[in-house]
Amino acid sequence: MRVNGNIELLRFMDLLELLEKKRETLNSLIEQGWFSITKARYSMGNKHVSALQYASEMVPLVCVHTKALENGEVQFFTERHIQKSSAESSDDLLPVEDIGPQEEGLRRRNKTKKDTPEKKDTEVAKTAKGPEVNPVRKIDQNPQQDPLKWFGILVPQPLKQAQSSFKQVIELSAEIAALQSAVLRTRQKLRLSLAKELNSEKSLGKSAKEKCPTSDLTVSEQKECIQQNKIVV
Amino acid sequence: MAGRGKLIAVIGDEDTCTGFLLGGIGELNKNRKPNFLVVEKDTSVTEIEETFKSFLARNDIGIVLINQFIAEMIRHAIDGHVQSIPAVLEIPSKEHPYDASKDSILRRAKGMFSAEDFR
Repeated sequence: MRVNGNIELLRFMDLLELLEKKRETLNSLIEQGWFSITKARYSMGNKHVSALQYASEMVPLVCVHTKALENGEVQFFTERHIQKSSAESSDDLLPVEDIGPQEEGLRRRNKTKKDTPEKKDTEVAKTAKGPEVNPVRKIDQNPQQDPLKWFGILVPQPLKQAQSSFKQVIELSAEIAALQSAVLRTRQKLRLSLAKELNSEKSLGKSAKEKCPTSDLTVSEQKECIQQNKIVV
Repeated sequence: MAGRGKLIAVIGDEDTCTGFLLGGIGELNKNRKPNFLVVEKDTSVTEIEETFKSFLARNDIGIVLINQFIAEMIRHAIDGHVQSIPAVLEIPSKEHPYDASKDSILRRAKGMFSAEDFR
Protein backbone atom coordinates (compact mmCIF):
# COMPACT_ATOMS: atom_id res chain seq x y z
CA MET A 1 0.00 0.00 0.00
CA ARG A 2 2.72 2.40 1.03
CA VAL A 3 4.81 1.60 -2.05
CA ASN A 4 1.87 2.41 -4.35
CA GLY A 5 1.25 5.59 -2.41
CA ASN A 6 4.87 6.64 -2.83
CA ILE A 7 4.78 5.95 -6.56
CA GLU A 8 1.62 8.05 -6.92
CA LEU A 9 3.19 10.82 -4.87
CA LEU A 10 6.27 10.86 -7.09
CA ARG A 11 4.05 10.94 -10.19
CA PHE A 12 2.08 13.82 -8.68
CA MET A 13 5.25 15.80 -8.05
CA ASP A 14 6.53 15.10 -11.58
CA LEU A 15 3.22 16.23 -13.07
CA LEU A 16 3.28 19.45 -11.04
CA GLU A 17 6.84 20.18 -12.17
CA LEU A 18 5.96 19.56 -15.81
CA LEU A 19 2.83 21.69 -15.49
CA GLU A 20 4.88 24.55 -14.09
CA LYS A 21 7.39 24.35 -16.96
CA LYS A 22 4.65 24.27 -19.62
CA ARG A 23 2.93 27.20 -17.94
CA GLU A 24 6.10 29.28 -18.08
CA THR A 25 6.45 28.57 -21.79
CA LEU A 26 2.77 29.37 -22.37
CA ASN A 27 2.98 32.67 -20.51
CA SER A 28 6.11 33.78 -22.34
CA LEU A 29 4.58 32.89 -25.74
CA ILE A 30 1.43 34.87 -24.89
CA GLU A 31 3.55 37.87 -23.88
CA GLN A 32 5.51 37.55 -27.11
CA GLY A 33 2.22 37.53 -29.02
CA TRP A 34 1.00 40.70 -27.29
CA PHE A 35 4.28 42.44 -28.01
CA SER A 36 3.97 41.57 -31.71
CA ILE A 37 0.36 42.83 -31.79
CA THR A 38 1.49 46.08 -30.19
CA LYS A 39 4.24 46.47 -32.80
CA ALA A 40 1.74 45.81 -35.59
CA ARG A 41 -0.65 48.37 -34.06
CA TYR A 42 2.17 50.90 -33.92
CA SER A 43 2.87 50.52 -37.65
CA MET A 44 -0.72 50.14 -38.85
CA GLY A 45 -2.49 52.51 -36.49
CA ASN A 46 -4.59 52.02 -33.35
CA LYS A 47 -7.87 51.58 -35.14
CA HIS A 48 -6.52 49.07 -37.64
CA VAL A 49 -5.66 46.37 -35.12
CA SER A 50 -8.69 46.06 -32.86
CA ALA A 51 -11.98 44.25 -32.39
CA LEU A 52 -13.43 46.46 -35.14
CA GLN A 53 -11.54 44.39 -37.72
CA TYR A 54 -13.10 41.09 -36.67
CA ALA A 55 -15.03 39.39 -39.45
CA SER A 56 -18.82 39.23 -39.24
CA GLU A 57 -18.63 35.49 -39.88
CA MET A 58 -15.93 33.22 -38.56
CA VAL A 59 -15.28 29.55 -39.02
CA PRO A 60 -12.93 27.88 -36.51
CA LEU A 61 -9.71 26.66 -38.07
CA VAL A 62 -8.61 24.68 -35.03
CA CYS A 63 -10.57 22.35 -32.79
CA VAL A 64 -9.75 20.16 -29.81
CA HIS A 65 -10.50 16.46 -29.40
CA THR A 66 -10.99 14.97 -25.94
CA LYS A 67 -10.38 11.38 -24.92
CA ALA A 68 -11.32 9.99 -21.52
CA LEU A 69 -8.81 7.41 -20.26
CA GLU A 70 -9.51 4.42 -18.03
CA ASN A 71 -7.80 5.99 -15.02
CA GLY A 72 -10.22 8.94 -15.11
CA GLU A 73 -7.82 11.39 -16.76
CA VAL A 74 -8.74 13.25 -19.93
CA GLN A 75 -6.44 13.82 -22.89
CA PHE A 76 -6.72 16.81 -25.20
CA PHE A 77 -5.52 16.91 -28.83
CA THR A 78 -5.72 19.88 -31.16
CA GLU A 79 -6.53 19.54 -34.83
CA ARG A 80 -5.91 22.35 -37.27
CA HIS A 81 -7.95 22.45 -40.47
CA ILE A 82 -5.68 22.88 -43.44
CA GLN A 83 -6.86 25.75 -45.58
CA LYS A 84 -7.50 25.06 -49.27
CA SER A 85 -4.42 25.38 -51.42
CA SER A 86 -4.24 26.79 -54.93
CA ALA A 87 -4.83 23.35 -56.48
CA GLU A 88 -8.61 23.32 -56.20
CA SER A 89 -11.36 21.66 -58.12
CA SER A 90 -13.12 23.58 -60.85
CA ASP A 91 -16.32 23.55 -58.78
CA ASP A 92 -14.78 26.15 -56.51
CA LEU A 93 -13.91 28.44 -59.39
CA LEU A 94 -16.25 31.25 -60.20
CA PRO A 95 -16.21 33.11 -63.48
CA VAL A 96 -15.17 36.70 -63.06
CA GLU A 97 -15.70 39.36 -65.64
CA ASP A 98 -12.58 40.82 -67.11
CA ILE A 99 -13.51 44.14 -68.63
CA GLY A 100 -10.90 45.70 -70.82
CA PRO A 101 -9.36 45.59 -74.25
CA GLN A 102 -9.44 42.06 -75.54
CA GLU A 103 -6.96 42.44 -78.33
CA GLU A 104 -3.65 40.74 -78.00
CA GLY A 105 -0.28 42.26 -78.56
CA LEU A 106 0.77 45.84 -78.44
CA ARG A 107 -1.54 48.54 -79.53
CA ARG A 108 -0.46 51.04 -82.10
CA ARG A 109 -0.08 54.42 -80.49
CA ASN A 110 -0.08 56.38 -83.71
CA LYS A 111 -3.53 55.76 -85.03
CA THR A 112 -5.17 57.62 -87.89
CA LYS A 113 -8.50 59.31 -87.35
CA LYS A 114 -10.21 56.99 -89.77
CA ASP A 115 -8.98 53.88 -88.02
CA THR A 116 -9.88 54.85 -84.48
CA PRO A 117 -13.69 54.94 -84.83
CA GLU A 118 -13.55 51.57 -86.61
CA LYS A 119 -11.42 50.14 -83.85
CA LYS A 120 -13.76 51.50 -81.24
CA ASP A 121 -16.64 49.81 -83.00
CA THR A 122 -14.85 46.50 -82.99
CA GLU A 123 -13.98 46.86 -79.32
CA VAL A 124 -17.56 47.68 -78.45
CA ALA A 125 -18.67 44.71 -80.48
CA LYS A 126 -16.28 42.47 -78.62
CA THR A 127 -17.43 43.69 -75.23
CA ALA A 128 -21.00 43.34 -76.35
CA LYS A 129 -20.38 39.70 -77.23
CA GLY A 130 -19.34 38.97 -73.70
CA PRO A 131 -16.32 39.78 -71.65
CA GLU A 132 -13.50 37.32 -71.43
CA VAL A 133 -13.89 35.22 -68.33
CA ASN A 134 -11.03 34.29 -66.07
CA PRO A 135 -11.70 31.69 -63.45
CA VAL A 136 -10.68 32.93 -60.02
CA ARG A 137 -10.61 31.23 -56.63
CA LYS A 138 -13.60 31.84 -54.40
CA ILE A 139 -11.43 33.20 -51.59
CA ASP A 140 -13.20 36.51 -51.05
CA GLN A 141 -16.55 34.89 -50.43
CA ASN A 142 -15.17 31.98 -48.34
CA PRO A 143 -15.49 32.69 -44.62
CA GLN A 144 -12.93 29.99 -43.82
CA GLN A 145 -10.06 32.28 -44.60
CA ASP A 146 -6.91 33.24 -42.77
CA PRO A 147 -7.89 35.67 -39.95
CA LEU A 148 -4.82 37.68 -40.89
CA LYS A 149 -6.77 38.95 -43.88
CA TRP A 150 -9.27 40.75 -41.64
CA PHE A 151 -6.54 43.31 -41.06
CA GLY A 152 -5.76 43.95 -44.73
CA ILE A 153 -4.15 42.30 -47.72
CA LEU A 154 -0.62 43.31 -46.85
CA VAL A 155 -0.09 43.00 -43.13
CA PRO A 156 3.17 43.79 -41.36
CA GLN A 157 5.47 41.02 -40.26
CA PRO A 158 4.78 41.53 -36.50
CA LEU A 159 1.13 40.57 -37.04
CA LYS A 160 2.20 37.33 -38.70
CA GLN A 161 4.57 36.70 -35.81
CA ALA A 162 1.71 37.29 -33.38
CA GLN A 163 -0.39 34.74 -35.24
CA SER A 164 2.43 32.21 -35.12
CA SER A 165 2.92 32.76 -31.36
CA PHE A 166 -0.75 32.30 -30.61
CA LYS A 167 -0.93 29.17 -32.74
CA GLN A 168 1.77 27.68 -30.53
CA VAL A 169 -0.13 28.87 -27.44
CA ILE A 170 -3.20 26.98 -28.63
CA GLU A 171 -1.19 23.75 -29.04
CA LEU A 172 0.30 24.19 -25.56
CA SER A 173 -3.10 24.92 -24.04
CA ALA A 174 -4.26 21.43 -24.95
CA GLU A 175 -1.18 19.92 -23.28
CA ILE A 176 -1.71 21.99 -20.15
CA ALA A 177 -5.40 21.04 -20.01
CA ALA A 178 -4.38 17.36 -20.11
CA LEU A 179 -1.76 17.92 -17.38
CA GLN A 180 -4.28 19.69 -15.16
CA SER A 181 -6.67 16.78 -15.50
CA ALA A 182 -3.84 14.34 -14.62
CA VAL A 183 -2.80 16.43 -11.59
CA LEU A 184 -6.32 16.57 -10.19
CA ARG A 185 -6.95 12.88 -10.79
CA THR A 186 -3.64 11.87 -9.14
CA ARG A 187 -4.42 14.17 -6.21
CA GLN A 188 -7.77 12.44 -5.76
CA LYS A 189 -6.10 9.00 -5.75
CA LEU A 190 -3.47 10.12 -3.25
CA ARG A 191 -6.07 11.54 -0.89
CA LEU A 192 -7.98 8.27 -0.98
CA SER A 193 -4.88 6.17 -0.32
CA LEU A 194 -3.75 8.52 2.49
CA ALA A 195 -7.19 8.35 4.07
CA LYS A 196 -7.10 4.53 3.90
CA GLU A 197 -3.67 4.38 5.51
CA LEU A 198 -4.75 6.79 8.21
CA ASN A 199 -7.80 4.68 8.98
CA SER A 200 -5.77 1.48 9.10
CA GLU A 201 -3.19 3.07 11.42
CA LYS A 202 -5.91 4.36 13.70
CA SER A 203 -7.51 0.93 13.95
CA LEU A 204 -4.03 -0.54 14.54
CA GLY A 205 -3.43 1.90 17.35
CA LYS A 206 -6.83 1.13 18.87
CA SER A 207 -6.26 -2.61 18.98
CA ALA A 208 -2.73 -2.10 20.33
CA LYS A 209 -4.07 -0.01 23.19
CA GLU A 210 -6.50 -2.78 24.04
CA LYS A 211 -3.73 -5.39 24.18
CA CYS A 212 -1.00 -3.22 25.66
CA PRO A 213 -2.21 -1.62 28.87
CA THR A 214 0.31 1.22 28.93
CA SER A 215 -1.23 3.97 26.90
CA ASP A 216 2.04 5.91 26.94
CA LEU A 217 3.50 3.72 24.22
CA THR A 218 4.09 5.32 20.84
CA VAL A 219 2.44 3.83 17.73
CA SER A 220 5.68 2.07 16.69
CA GLU A 221 6.06 0.56 20.17
CA GLN A 222 2.45 -0.54 20.09
CA LYS A 223 3.07 -2.18 16.72
CA GLU A 224 6.00 -4.09 18.17
CA CYS A 225 3.80 -5.14 21.05
CA ILE A 226 1.19 -6.37 18.62
CA GLN A 227 3.76 -8.29 16.62
CA GLN A 228 5.08 -9.90 19.76
CA ASN A 229 1.59 -10.89 20.83
CA LYS A 230 0.90 -11.97 17.27
CA ILE A 231 -2.31 -10.05 17.05
CA VAL A 232 -4.00 -10.06 13.69
CA VAL A 233 -5.54 -6.72 12.81
CA MET B 1 -14.30 9.39 -27.44
CA ALA B 2 -12.67 11.54 -30.16
CA GLY B 3 -15.59 12.38 -32.39
CA ARG B 4 -16.32 15.79 -33.85
CA GLY B 5 -13.83 18.33 -32.57
CA LYS B 6 -14.75 20.73 -29.82
CA LEU B 7 -14.16 24.46 -29.81
CA ILE B 8 -11.75 26.51 -27.74
CA ALA B 9 -13.49 29.44 -26.06
CA VAL B 10 -11.81 32.58 -24.77
CA ILE B 11 -12.86 35.28 -22.30
CA GLY B 12 -10.29 38.03 -22.31
CA ASP B 13 -9.30 41.57 -23.02
CA GLU B 14 -9.10 42.84 -26.59
CA ASP B 15 -5.51 41.87 -27.31
CA THR B 16 -5.96 38.40 -25.83
CA CYS B 17 -9.06 37.77 -27.94
CA THR B 18 -7.41 39.24 -31.05
CA GLY B 19 -4.43 36.97 -30.58
CA PHE B 20 -6.45 33.80 -30.15
CA LEU B 21 -8.77 34.71 -33.02
CA LEU B 22 -5.70 35.19 -35.19
CA GLY B 23 -4.78 31.68 -34.12
CA GLY B 24 -8.04 30.49 -35.66
CA ILE B 25 -10.27 29.51 -32.74
CA GLY B 26 -13.11 31.95 -33.45
CA GLU B 27 -16.61 30.88 -34.43
CA LEU B 28 -19.19 33.50 -35.29
CA ASN B 29 -22.37 32.97 -37.27
CA LYS B 30 -26.08 33.69 -37.11
CA ASN B 31 -26.97 30.22 -35.82
CA ARG B 32 -24.87 30.03 -32.69
CA LYS B 33 -23.48 32.35 -30.07
CA PRO B 34 -19.82 33.24 -30.45
CA ASN B 35 -17.20 31.27 -28.55
CA PHE B 36 -15.37 34.37 -27.36
CA LEU B 37 -16.07 37.42 -25.23
CA VAL B 38 -14.05 40.62 -25.40
CA VAL B 39 -14.05 42.05 -21.89
CA GLU B 40 -13.83 45.83 -21.81
CA LYS B 41 -13.87 48.32 -18.97
CA ASP B 42 -17.64 48.61 -19.06
CA THR B 43 -18.34 44.86 -19.26
CA SER B 44 -20.35 43.84 -16.20
CA VAL B 45 -19.40 40.94 -13.93
CA THR B 46 -22.87 39.48 -14.53
CA GLU B 47 -22.25 39.33 -18.26
CA ILE B 48 -18.87 37.66 -17.74
CA GLU B 49 -20.36 35.12 -15.35
CA GLU B 50 -23.28 34.36 -17.66
CA THR B 51 -20.96 33.91 -20.63
CA PHE B 52 -18.68 31.62 -18.60
CA LYS B 53 -21.62 29.51 -17.44
CA SER B 54 -22.99 29.33 -20.99
CA PHE B 55 -19.60 28.04 -22.19
CA LEU B 56 -19.66 25.36 -19.49
CA ALA B 57 -23.20 24.35 -20.43
CA ARG B 58 -22.33 23.94 -24.12
CA ASN B 59 -21.23 20.43 -25.07
CA ASP B 60 -19.16 21.64 -28.02
CA ILE B 61 -16.51 23.52 -26.04
CA GLY B 62 -13.44 21.62 -24.87
CA ILE B 63 -11.25 24.34 -23.36
CA VAL B 64 -12.09 27.75 -21.88
CA LEU B 65 -9.23 30.26 -21.75
CA ILE B 66 -9.72 33.16 -19.38
CA ASN B 67 -7.50 36.02 -18.25
CA GLN B 68 -6.67 35.54 -14.58
CA PHE B 69 -7.82 39.02 -13.53
CA ILE B 70 -11.24 38.25 -15.10
CA ALA B 71 -11.23 34.83 -13.41
CA GLU B 72 -10.78 36.62 -10.07
CA MET B 73 -14.07 38.47 -10.67
CA ILE B 74 -15.93 35.16 -11.04
CA ARG B 75 -13.74 33.00 -8.78
CA HIS B 76 -16.73 31.36 -7.12
CA ALA B 77 -18.03 30.17 -10.50
CA ILE B 78 -14.62 28.81 -11.51
CA ASP B 79 -14.07 27.04 -8.19
CA GLY B 80 -17.49 25.47 -8.57
CA HIS B 81 -16.54 23.86 -11.88
CA VAL B 82 -15.15 20.41 -11.06
CA GLN B 83 -15.76 18.56 -14.35
CA SER B 84 -12.83 17.68 -16.59
CA ILE B 85 -14.52 19.00 -19.73
CA PRO B 86 -14.40 21.81 -20.54
CA ALA B 87 -10.97 22.45 -19.06
CA VAL B 88 -10.53 25.97 -17.67
CA LEU B 89 -7.12 27.55 -18.17
CA GLU B 90 -6.21 30.82 -16.52
CA ILE B 91 -3.83 32.93 -18.55
CA PRO B 92 -2.06 36.20 -17.74
CA SER B 93 -3.09 39.57 -19.05
CA LYS B 94 -0.97 42.56 -20.00
CA GLU B 95 -1.54 44.42 -16.76
CA HIS B 96 -1.74 41.36 -14.48
CA PRO B 97 0.97 38.70 -14.72
CA TYR B 98 0.11 35.07 -13.94
CA ASP B 99 -0.03 34.24 -10.25
CA ALA B 100 0.07 30.51 -9.49
CA SER B 101 -1.29 31.05 -5.99
CA LYS B 102 -4.57 32.34 -7.45
CA ASP B 103 -5.03 29.52 -9.98
CA SER B 104 -8.04 27.35 -9.00
CA ILE B 105 -6.45 24.12 -10.21
CA LEU B 106 -3.17 24.67 -8.39
CA ARG B 107 -4.93 25.73 -5.22
CA ARG B 108 -6.90 22.51 -5.30
CA ALA B 109 -3.71 20.52 -5.85
CA LYS B 110 -1.83 22.44 -3.13
CA GLY B 111 -4.68 21.99 -0.66
CA MET B 112 -4.30 18.24 -0.65
CA PHE B 113 -1.47 18.29 1.80
CA SER B 114 -2.03 19.41 5.35
CA ALA B 115 -0.11 18.78 8.58
CA GLU B 116 -2.72 16.22 9.66
CA ASP B 117 -1.89 13.93 6.73
CA PHE B 118 1.65 13.33 7.92
CA ARG B 119 1.05 12.57 11.60
